[in-house]
Amino acid sequence: MKVIVQDVPTVAPTADAAVGASRPGLREYARSLRQGCRQMFGIPDYERYVAHMTAQHPGDPLLSRRDFFAQTIDRKYGKSGPRCC
Amino acid sequence: MNKVMSTLLWPVIAIVGAFSFAALALGRGETVSAVWLVTAAVCVYFIAYRFYSKFIADKVLRLDDTRQTPAERHNDGMDYVPTNRWVLFGHHFAAIAGAGPLVGPVLAAQMGFLPGTLWILVGVVLAGAVQDFIVLFASVRRDGKSLGEMIKMELGPTAGSLALVGVLAIMIIILAVLSLVVVKALTGSPWGLFTIAATIPIALIMGVYMRIIRPGRVAEASVIGVALLMTALIYGRTVANDPTWGPMFTLDGPQLAWALILYGAVASSLPVWLMLAPRDYLSTFLKIGTIVALAIGIYYVAPPLAMPATTRFIDGTGPVFSGALFPFLFITIACGSVSGFHALISSGTTPKMIEKESHMRLIGFGGMLMESFVAIMALTAACVLDPGIYFAMNAPSAVIGTTAANAAQVISSWGFAITPEMINQTAVDIGENSILSRAGGAPTLAVGMAKILAQALGGKSMEAFWYHFAILFEALFILTAVDAGTRVGRFMIQDMLGHVYKPMGNTEFLPANLVGTGLCVAMWGYFLYQGVIDPLGGINTLWQLFGVGNQMLAGIALLLCTSVLVKMKRERYVWVTLVPTAWLLITTLTAGVEKIFHSDPRIGFVALARKFSEAAAEGKVLAPAKSIEEMQRVAFNNYLDAVVCGFFVLLVLAMCVFTIKICMQALKQAKPTAHEIPPLAGVDAAPA
Repeated sequence: MKVIVQDVPTVAPTADAAVGASRPGLREYARSLRQGCRQMFGIPDYERYVAHMTAQHPGDPLLSRRDFFAQTIDRKYGKSGPRCC
Repeated sequence: MNKVMSTLLWPVIAIVGAFSFAALALGRGETVSAVWLVTAAVCVYFIAYRFYSKFIADKVLRLDDTRQTPAERHNDGMDYVPTNRWVLFGHHFAAIAGAGPLVGPVLAAQMGFLPGTLWILVGVVLAGAVQDFIVLFASVRRDGKSLGEMIKMELGPTAGSLALVGVLAIMIIILAVLSLVVVKALTGSPWGLFTIAATIPIALIMGVYMRIIRPGRVAEASVIGVALLMTALIYGRTVANDPTWGPMFTLDGPQLAWALILYGAVASSLPVWLMLAPRDYLSTFLKIGTIVALAIGIYYVAPPLAMPATTRFIDGTGPVFSGALFPFLFITIACGSVSGFHALISSGTTPKMIEKESHMRLIGFGGMLMESFVAIMALTAACVLDPGIYFAMNAPSAVIGTTAANAAQVISSWGFAITPEMINQTAVDIGENSILSRAGGAPTLAVGMAKILAQALGGKSMEAFWYHFAILFEALFILTAVDAGTRVGRFMIQDMLGHVYKPMGNTEFLPANLVGTGLCVAMWGYFLYQGVIDPLGGINTLWQLFGVGNQMLAGIALLLCTSVLVKMKRERYVWVTLVPTAWLLITTLTAGVEKIFHSDPRIGFVALARKFSEAAAEGKVLAPAKSIEEMQRVAFNNYLDAVVCGFFVLLVLAMCVFTIKICMQALKQAKPTAHEIPPLAGVDAAPA
């Protein structure tokens, strides 16, 4: 079975990874800490989504905060695989 | 500089580890501090991670950071997100750590602390962490495919379908046994039941807050949730002592079983945002917080291990579960050493978030070491208890009776001196009416944790609080698992029924959903109820059935890993997966066959069924059955367990045949035949 690869990102993908490569100031640090905590506990991160969309797909319609949470939570728990014993 | 540090550091870790083992080994006849046990384990983890996982990463799998991961390929800012490796490590750990590593080691403590410790350490390094790592690797190289899909790709569609039926069967057993743990913990415990019941409205409040009042503000909702939870925990005692409310929250086993069955059916039919998601956040916070607190507590308090290194029960006559050390220790401790269920997580969300291939070493291998550490702490918490208390809590009432005086006499006759006063005092300390026959791991662990945490914080007067905190912590994530597991089970059942009758497969079709949910709940509910009325206490039967199933799944996952290595033409290193596969197959097939055919009715399902049906035919009623009908029901249940166990055995044998066939074919090929996504030249070689 071959998987056709589409949508290859044009920007280095680490650009919107949790902890940015640059390290200016306390604010930036607090932001990445907050993002890290959200990812660790599996909480959807709206700010990161907005940053991703504006950087990678400018002009595409953006989900509202309410819709973003509705979609991600429904998808995460709706049909996701089983969790551990 | 780094190199000097490294050459100095590793010998130091090795020496500390060796010294800790020496302290454990030479401390015969006198008590040993639990700190040595935990330190020995930590040193083993570090060394295994530094050397063995590096070997697997570099030589066996040849991780390649220039290859695109699914997260890079599909980066959508939502599901597929390249994630910092330490963050993903935490996320993956939170996903794999459940009640499993807490229950198994506590049950295995009846054989002493040494057998369990050794199997946890050897098992995790050679089997569990290897399985998690390679399954994660295989999934990342296949665009984040699930275990079932990968088995279909590599071993063929028949193997794939068979594996799916096996996964469903194991899930049903897991849901039943986890619910049974909750039932055992909450029977006749109004304080515990009140706090657990309170989590339902608390989760609903959080759900409404996050969805309607302040959409997406998870942190705010969580603060509210945790505050309400602690209030419920503190006022639980008042409720329990109240003359009208107390009795309302005092339920017996069958009542609790029905309550849980009803809960499972209703909770899994609600929208996910209303209860499942908020409760999952609560339980994750509590889980991580409690595990960290326990680790700090063990080092701070440094309690002595009261349990001997080995007990006489390694011969198979133990009261907690029957069966000799080989093979039953190896199926009793599943999670913590090697757990087939992790193969489902490692091929679930985690591969969709891997940023670079090299990160899989920390996340797959390291994450499992962390889980193993939780198992070691659970074992420690059980072994710092007085052995007499441990057996009073874990032996079934058929063996030790229902009064403290009787229990003390029986347990003392085993060589673990205990007085009725000590048993009663422990119950008073933790704020319960009785501690007798609360098998299932959770209450024992809770008493152990309460002793440790109370010594570190709050003193003796806080023991009751910490006990109920620990019960809450375990019950909360078990109930989340029941909710989520019932949903997943429903989808799987609907998927299967969809092949027979098309509309049943439609997950948007309400009648089909109700049938799917009903079937799933009925199946696990049946096993749960059977466990509650089981003459040997239920855990004895169900936990071992779960152990056999879970380790069989691990065997299947490792067979897949083996076929992947052979298909990649890395047959030189195939022993990495072949050795743990062989061990798992030997232990679980032996255990499976013994569970079915062993002549001792305490071990063999068929022997117990025959004993009850023969007695029923003669018109005799054996305890705890109260009528001939109940006798026949016990007999039928045991025949059913034998069938389920037999199914697991046949399933794994069939997977063996498929794997051998595929591997033979692959060995004849000159080129790799694994179904990986080929590396893309040029686009993905961006430097980090």
